[in-house]
Amino acid sequence: MRQLPLISRRVAAAAVGVVLVAGAAACGPEGNSGDAKSGGAGGKPQKGGTLTVLNSQPQEDFDPARLYTSGGGNVPSLVFRTLTTRNRENGEAGAKVVPDLATDLGKPSKNATVWTYTLKEGLTYEDGTKITSADIKYGIERSFAAELSGGAPYLRDWLVGGEDYEGPYKGGKGLDSIETPDDRTIVFHLKKPEGEFPYLATQTQFAPVPKAKDKGTKYEEHPVSSGPYKVVQNTGDGERLVLERNPHWSEKTDKERHAYPDRIDVKSGLDSAVINQRLSTGSGADAAAVTTDTNLGPAELAQVGSDKELAGRVGTGHFGYTNYLAFNPKVKPFDNPKVRQAIAYAVNRTSVVNAAGGSSLAEPATTYLPNQKSFGHTPYDHFPAGRTGNPEKAKELLKQAGYDDGLTITLTHSTAKDFETSPEIASAIQDGLKKAGITVRLQGLEDNDYKEKVHSVKDEPGLFLAHWGADWPSGGPFLAPIFDGRQIVKDGYNFNSAQLDEKSVNDEIDAINKLTDLDAAAKRWGALDKKIGEQALTVPLFHPVYKRVFGKDVKNVVISDWTGVLDISQVAVK
Amino acid sequence: MTGYILRRVGGAFLVLLVLTVVVYAFFYLAPGDPARLACGQRCNPQQIAQVREQLALDDPVHVQYWHFLQGLVAGHDYSTGTGVLHCDAPCFGLSYRNDQQVTELITQRVPVTASLAFGAMALWLLLGVGTGLLAALRRGGVTERVLTAVTLAGTATPVFIIGLLLLMVFCAQLQWLPFPTYVPLAEDPEQWAWNMLLPWTALALIESAKYARMTRSSVLETLAEDHIRTFRAYGVGERALVGRHALRGALPPVIALTAIDLGTMFGNAVLTETLFGLPGLGQLLVQSVRVIDLPVIVGVVLVTGAAVVLANIVADILYAVTDRRVALT
Repeated sequence: MRQLPLISRRVAAAAVGVVLVAGAAACGPEGNSGDAKSGGAGGKPQKGGTLTVLNSQPQEDFDPARLYTSGGGNVPSLVFRTLTTRNRENGEAGAKVVPDLATDLGKPSKNATVWTYTLKEGLTYEDGTKITSADIKYGIERSFAAELSGGAPYLRDWLVGGEDYEGPYKGGKGLDSIETPDDRTIVFHLKKPEGEFPYLATQTQFAPVPKAKDKGTKYEEHPVSSGPYKVVQNTGDGERLVLERNPHWSEKTDKERHAYPDRIDVKSGLDSAVINQRLSTGSGADAAAVTTDTNLGPAELAQVGSDKELAGRVGTGHFGYTNYLAFNPKVKPFDNPKVRQAIAYAVNRTSVVNAAGGSSLAEPATTYLPNQKSFGHTPYDHFPAGRTGNPEKAKELLKQAGYDDGLTITLTHSTAKDFETSPEIASAIQDGLKKAGITVRLQGLEDNDYKEKVHSVKDEPGLFLAHWGADWPSGGPFLAPIFDGRQIVKDGYNFNSAQLDEKSVNDEIDAINKLTDLDAAAKRWGALDKKIGEQALTVPLFHPVYKRVFGKDVKNVVISDWTGVLDISQVAVK
Repeated sequence: MTGYILRRVGGAFLVLLVLTVVVYAFFYLAPGDPARLACGQRCNPQQIAQVREQLALDDPVHVQYWHFLQGLVAGHDYSTGTGVLHCDAPCFGLSYRNDQQVTELITQRVPVTASLAFGAMALWLLLGVGTGLLAALRRGGVTERVLTAVTLAGTATPVFIIGLLLLMVFCAQLQWLPFPTYVPLAEDPEQWAWNMLLPWTALALIESAKYARMTRSSVLETLAEDHIRTFRAYGVGERALVGRHALRGALPPVIALTAIDLGTMFGNAVLTETLFGLPGLGQLLVQSVRVIDLPVIVGVVLVTGAAVVLANIVADILYAVTDRRVALT
């Protein structure tokens, strides 16, 4: 699951944001519509110049084996090409998967357990050497090594023999379920049908790594580029990353990336308020700057609302992501469906949305799946709470559950200021439930402690704030980790918080996974979401919206529904 | 004096050793499993066990601590998967998160924090001592009141407010200065200074207040002493009195405080570095605490701890050198 970049990291930043707009924050961001879906400065995009990226989080990992980013990530995708990639187009069209190093999306066997890919001709690394299928196999194999842990878990779960394989560093053994009959062909043997394998092949683990150049944990200092840019500087543990053109990259084999700028200069470790101020001001090199991880906050959006020029430089995007209330039905009183339903009815989503930054930054959710077609979104609202909650209905259900005099429960949340599982959201829930006679005690835990507890089958609290983001824009990676009973992890990080292990659900997940028609699969995921929703195992709260400002000289802004943020590979600064 | 210094240095090593024990103790008492974090979001128990083994977290705490001490004295060899990486003494170990040498990470960042601390120190001395002197000489007047108010406001305002206001005014509005980006001194001294000017100013505005107050009271105290009155009676000019005597009397406490502040600056640079985007030790510490990266945490704590301890020793020595009434034994 990709982490949602933080809206604001510091109390300081929030405080300063308030200072910046001198009281305008009270108005909130409602009504702002500074969208720039395909805007930017006028004129035809041209090659040349330097694009600056101002980020708060450093690019600490730059090894393709270690990265866990949806669709190959934004900056990493400039250096690492993969078998398939995301379609670099605005909005819904951008949620499609398209070929990258491969000639097509892969040829599945009849039951989708064997996938065969053919590499395009003329593919080379930054040093001019040929990219072969063996390099892709090796790149995947090394991602199994404990030394390079951190990537997405699917390869381990899907490939035959993946669960026991420890990578090529121990005994030099390869993974038999990946075959390379010739330099341009690679075949994957899976344990069970997986119609969404082309989506998985967008992950950076599918980037080629030449075995002779592998330096294990040191490889990330200078990974060998297969993309349009190569790394010329990576210092301060990813604080500063400078990319320059890879002279051996050819746009003839890469229809997805444009590679307009000559140089990309990524500067990280900046305060979010400063990033937004710098991009808004846009002086000097900042005129040709963007951010890939910093949202505008409520206070800054108020500032945008009064500045038309600035509003034209704000990109709006949606990344498949849901923030929700999670129940552990093994803990009383949440073992009673009526109690869970009562809470679902009592939630005041307007308060929650405001606590998350306002309607410009969060859209109320009643479905678990994000509201985009690619996920198979099927509208439903099984426990209609309206905009501000339905306390009467909640009280009625509590009575039926035997709690005539109300109920006292504990809500666990993180103390991190992330506007997701933070105290602000917890307080908004607390206020809403109070009207239904439910007294909520808040239990704020330090962020690492919170993560340990809510993901532990043994210590999982009865009710907590949770969130889930898309590994790719489909219902599969959204529903399976959370509701597939076979994915309950007893001693590790468990995400099936309801610990649901229902045969009908598991069987339907398997049946949909067999489909290679992704549109047909999307419809079934939506139907499954609606069915699971009836059990009130979660209370969907909101889907976040990304609002990001970019510099005056930035052209060709493309924001897809896959990433929800401006795609660096499309940006021009001339 | 030599004996005193040797004893203090010996004591400093002991303090640093205790510091490492405390960090280790806090680390193992605090919630969160570094192996889980290093392994990634969705690891199975088998994988977490592999990572734990690779990070040597399976060893008992005292064994891990012993290996750390050994590394400090004799260095250490680590596997990178494809080969062996030798970490020279003093080896603080490898970062849990990405196996980078902690020494390397710290070495990259010390110049940034040092640039911040020394530059800010020069400015706060200039501002603080100058203001203090002026306030003393204009005692009871409007100048003194204004200076006192300004310095008090400086002390009371947090660095992220002053820093952001400076950024807003000088970078965003007037556009006289660039938004700071750290440029190494050796690479381009002019750009280094130009980019550090705002962080220095922000820190100097905050720190200079206490120097102003200290200088003011020291100068006033000295000017009220008998020998100054005698000098005056002999017709020694005000300028000479202030320059040769009053300022000299004010110097020892200012110098001692400067040394201590400089030391603590290494540990207190977190907010300033974050606000101005300076990749220094403060930022590294924050990132490491977030991902429970013990080797980096211990490394940074040791380096900043050493800076504080060293600063205290230097402060004591400077005090003795500048004020002959103090004897170090």
